[in-house]
Amino acid sequence: MNVVVCTKYVPNPQGTPTLGPDNLLVRSDVEGALDPGDEYGLELALQLVERHGGEITAISMGPDEALAGVQRALAMGAHRGVLITDPALRGADALVTARVLAAAVQRQPAELVIAGVESTDGYTGTVPVTVAALLGYASVTAVRALELEGDALRVERQTEGGYDVFACPTPALVTVTAGATEPRYPSLKGIMQAKQKPLERLTAADLGLTAEDLRSTQTVVEVVDAAAKGGGEIVQGDAAVARIVELLAEAKVI
Amino acid sequence: MGAAWVYAEMVGGHVHESAAELLTIARSLGAEVAAIALGPGATDAAAELGAHGAATVYASDDEVFSGFAGGPQTFAVAGLIEEHRPSIVLFPGTYEGRDVAGRLQARTGSTLMANAIDVVGTDRARTEIFGGMKVVDVQLAGPEPHLVLVRPRSVTPARTDGTAQVVAVPAEIPEAERGARLLERHEEVASGPKLEEAKVVVSGGRGLGGPEAFAMLDALAEAIGGAAVGASRAAVDAGWVPYSYQIGQTGKTVKPEVYIAAGISGALQHIVGMKGAKRIVAINKDADAPILKMADLGVVGDVFQVIPALTEEIRRRTSS
Amino acid sequence: MVLAAAVALFVARGRPRLDIVRAARPAGPLDHPGARARRELVQVLGQRKLFQKAIPGAMHATIFWGFLILLPTIAEAMLAVIDPAWTLPYLGHAAWFAFLQDLFATLVIVGVGVAFFIRKVQRPDRFRGSHMQEADRILLTILGIVTTLLLWNASRIALGYADHPDAAPVANALSSLFSGGRSTEVAERILVWAHLLLVLGFLTYLPRSKHLHIITAAPNVYLAKTAPSGYLEPLRIDLEGTEEDTRFGAAVATDLTRKQVLDLYSCTECGRCQEVCPAWATGKPLSPKLLIMGLRDQVVAEAPALLSAASGGIVELQPLVPNAVTDEVVWDCVTCGACVRECPVDIEHVDTIVDLRRNLVMAESRFPPEAGTMLRGVENSENPWGQPASARTEWTQGLDGIHVLEPGDPPPEVLFWVGCAGAFDERAKATTRSIARLLTAAGIDVAILGPRERCTGDPARRMGHEYLFQTLAEQNVETLNGAGVTKIVASCAHCFNTLANEYPDYGGAYEVVHHTELLAGLIRDGRLGAAAAAASGTVTYHDACYLGRHNGRYDAPRDVLRSTGAGTVEMPRNRERSFCCGAGGARMWMEEGGDARINDTRFAEAEGTGADTVAVACPYCFVMLDDAAKAKGSEVRVADVATLLAESVLAEPAP
Repeated sequence: MNVVVCTKYVPNPQGTPTLGPDNLLVRSDVEGALDPGDEYGLELALQLVERHGGEITAISMGPDEALAGVQRALAMGAHRGVLITDPALRGADALVTARVLAAAVQRQPAELVIAGVESTDGYTGTVPVTVAALLGYASVTAVRALELEGDALRVERQTEGGYDVFACPTPALVTVTAGATEPRYPSLKGIMQAKQKPLERLTAADLGLTAEDLRSTQTVVEVVDAAAKGGGEIVQGDAAVARIVELLAEAKVI
Repeated sequence: MGAAWVYAEMVGGHVHESAAELLTIARSLGAEVAAIALGPGATDAAAELGAHGAATVYASDDEVFSGFAGGPQTFAVAGLIEEHRPSIVLFPGTYEGRDVAGRLQARTGSTLMANAIDVVGTDRARTEIFGGMKVVDVQLAGPEPHLVLVRPRSVTPARTDGTAQVVAVPAEIPEAERGARLLERHEEVASGPKLEEAKVVVSGGRGLGGPEAFAMLDALAEAIGGAAVGASRAAVDAGWVPYSYQIGQTGKTVKPEVYIAAGISGALQHIVGMKGAKRIVAINKDADAPILKMADLGVVGDVFQVIPALTEEIRRRTSS
Repeated sequence: MVLAAAVALFVARGRPRLDIVRAARPAGPLDHPGARARRELVQVLGQRKLFQKAIPGAMHATIFWGFLILLPTIAEAMLAVIDPAWTLPYLGHAAWFAFLQDLFATLVIVGVGVAFFIRKVQRPDRFRGSHMQEADRILLTILGIVTTLLLWNASRIALGYADHPDAAPVANALSSLFSGGRSTEVAERILVWAHLLLVLGFLTYLPRSKHLHIITAAPNVYLAKTAPSGYLEPLRIDLEGTEEDTRFGAAVATDLTRKQVLDLYSCTECGRCQEVCPAWATGKPLSPKLLIMGLRDQVVAEAPALLSAASGGIVELQPLVPNAVTDEVVWDCVTCGACVRECPVDIEHVDTIVDLRRNLVMAESRFPPEAGTMLRGVENSENPWGQPASARTEWTQGLDGIHVLEPGDPPPEVLFWVGCAGAFDERAKATTRSIARLLTAAGIDVAILGPRERCTGDPARRMGHEYLFQTLAEQNVETLNGAGVTKIVASCAHCFNTLANEYPDYGGAYEVVHHTELLAGLIRDGRLGAAAAAASGTVTYHDACYLGRHNGRYDAPRDVLRSTGAGTVEMPRNRERSFCCGAGGARMWMEEGGDARINDTRFAEAEGTGADTVAVACPYCFVMLDDAAKAKGSEVRVADVATLLAESVLAEPAP
């Protein structure tokens, strides 16, 4: 089974993100890494291919720095890499990103596309399903385990109070949850081998996408600092319970 | 201006609580408001939806809408959109909401905004970034309807006590549109959500004094709902809870909406596993505990008093 | 002919052993011949490390010196076999040699008696897992050799062959057993033959026994590294090179160095290493002795294949892990070096363990999964906790006079290497602030690299990720050299060891001091004033492995503590025999199994001194011992030497 794994290079999640003058997240010259959330899906893909054979293509859209993310995926065991880099894609919204990824997926035969549930930096969580729909693939999100059964997949989807089992026809796209499995740490041998693996760098034009396809439909028009949320507040005694409840309500969890 | 629609998610025969919130937002836009409810119980839910301001409810009770992973809903909503041309459709920021909206976007080619906390107009929505440090307004362009995913509990629902006209939605879904089929459901009530996935994590450390105190945290997690219980390495090392509970450098990394640290001093080993939490509440009797320095809300007090009182208060609120 | 046969058999059996050593990879450079020669004198001839245990040391020294003294006797016996009247020229007629022979033959018998007493009556735990029967065989053979020697000498006295019967009182006394007639002549023949056959038999037995150390120990001691024991030999990995040309550590027996193979032959299974190993002491599977024995057994078992490989043959070798030693054993090591310190024949267990880890991490990516977070953190964020570089200066808030070196700034007099723990860990930050305040008070400009400082790579290196270490070392050296740094003060014992001993391999030669050394110097020079408030209570100092045993810094921290006016008390295990806190060797980043925790064990020892405070000089020790104190609910305080000094010297409390 051939698998495409969508990966994203994100700024160091522990770092302090900043907005540029164009109200877009500063992505270049920022220390970054392959999104940790993508490693779980890649690991499931590797396990699947180890059991059933096939090849894994890691694809990513991002600035030049994102090459490091693809190389990381190759070092972990993906067989080939594709990086789509194009100045026209800076600030691409979810739909544009999905169009690019869908076009890139179509360049090689794949029965399965795997992505993370949501990225660590943007956490919109919609790009993968849009890719699936653009390709006409079935999709299941928040998957914690999957197995190939004949031509179909048996997948376990994480739910709030347990999990659901789905039979998913192929070709399919699944998004994999954090903690689904323990991602492998690439060996140095893997890193050295990764340098020999095919790695393509493409532009939007290489994928046959037009300027119209790349037009973003969302623009940040205003950024204001949020009202201080009372960070660093210390309370004692009876007031405590009321304040905690308030905070839980502000966080929209009760 | 076209109508403002709300995708009312059906869960287990009932309408999800987010629907009332979305309707409250939709009404504020000044447009005609309609809701879409698909799945068993949808027709019955129309009254509830009407009471929160939906003039029309497009409904189907067909089980095809609860037996697949979003495919039938997407097909049905796409059909309704083509027929009625609304200006905006609001979805809950749930797994299903994201699945349906995401797939729908590919069909309509319209914009999809995620993580909104409010909608200001049919072409303008608001969100938070950087862990809530900045509020951002986003202009929505492109073909209508604009699709917006709204984070649950962003607004307080308000009733209108109106009634809705129910319009039946056809449930003939072509095989190719159905997608993944649900085979089994498993509830893991005892364990609750996984630590990495939980919206709220309640975590205990050495200050709990022993394994029995973790029952107290279990009760709090249950009262909150959708919460998971974790522990610091000290509590795991002491053998009070298994290693699978451990949060930190050599355990799990969590990034919930709220992290409640009870009796945890805040060694770096622990901090690195939970500092990604959006809000941190720390309860510790030692006013010098490092965790209080990094908490959004630090409570200097006895966990054995604060936690049960908190549990009681949350139960009281949610049952009222 | 007997002699020829024995020698031939010895060569036949010993040759493959030698060939395996010669076929192994070359070991490190043979620098400092003077130091190596001195070590031969002190350690081999002088038996210094054996005397670390008085009675077993005396026992061994007696047998060893006896062996040296009695060597000419073998030649004497060979001559006498041919003709009873023949003997060595000069020595055979010297009264003093007759005396020494008599004396040491007797002492060896006593020594063997003591050895049996230790093994059979005392039965120390360090022998657990050793081959006891083989040891008995060896001791009995030695007993046989010297007994036959004494009796042979006695028979010679009885027959009148001896020039100086009075010089050999024991043999002389025993000569009364012989009548001096024909029967004595026969007995003399039997004894000399018995003596010689035992000697030759022993010779042929040697190559296949653990007693081979009598041949390999001296070269093994000579080959041991002269650098501080905290130093590791670099691999120098070139990612652009081919996989075949890259060594990832020790995967199979052919990956071992000559020194590492010689280590295996030199082990006598005495178990001194096992006795001091923190892992073994707390019920973990690792024993340095059993590790060496396991590796030796595999090398011996694979000898034919190894020799075939040496001559260019393609052979299938079993992986050393988990065949010779299990994964768990490899990961249990805290690299504290106590085993290396104890070993009388200078076996370098830690370096071999790191070599095994290098293969597991870099070639196989096989290690305790929880440690992966550390590696990812070091890789992506250049610190083990994955913290942002911008947070490295957070500890400076509220402190004046701390200069964050920007590119282009003039070089500082001393650069303060804060370290990741010192910058990010709340407890260690207190130490960092104390050091900064003390240095400022002493009029030293405190310059730090701030966000440009990276992890030295120590945890990655000890874990076996040599490449990650190498990358960080190169980057740090570039930063330090670019800033014109000449002198560094480090507060973390691990940073200190890496900067001082390992960075020179990467072009970074600096004068590196530990903060306790710098502070002790400032006190000595009167730059840090008399105690504002003399400390009360008693302090016990815990030696950090990478400051003490690995680098010989024992006195400075103690001097600083004494200057505070506090009473000091030593733990039973102190200085070079200190017991690890449990965090070294990247164990800080792994979960701990076994019956007990190393940090709890050490803390209990500290508490047992009755001290109110446990002073530390390394942030790892701080975290580990403080955790142990908290877990126990103990009132004993754990604090860095610098913090205790700051409290004593600086009147105002910490901001």
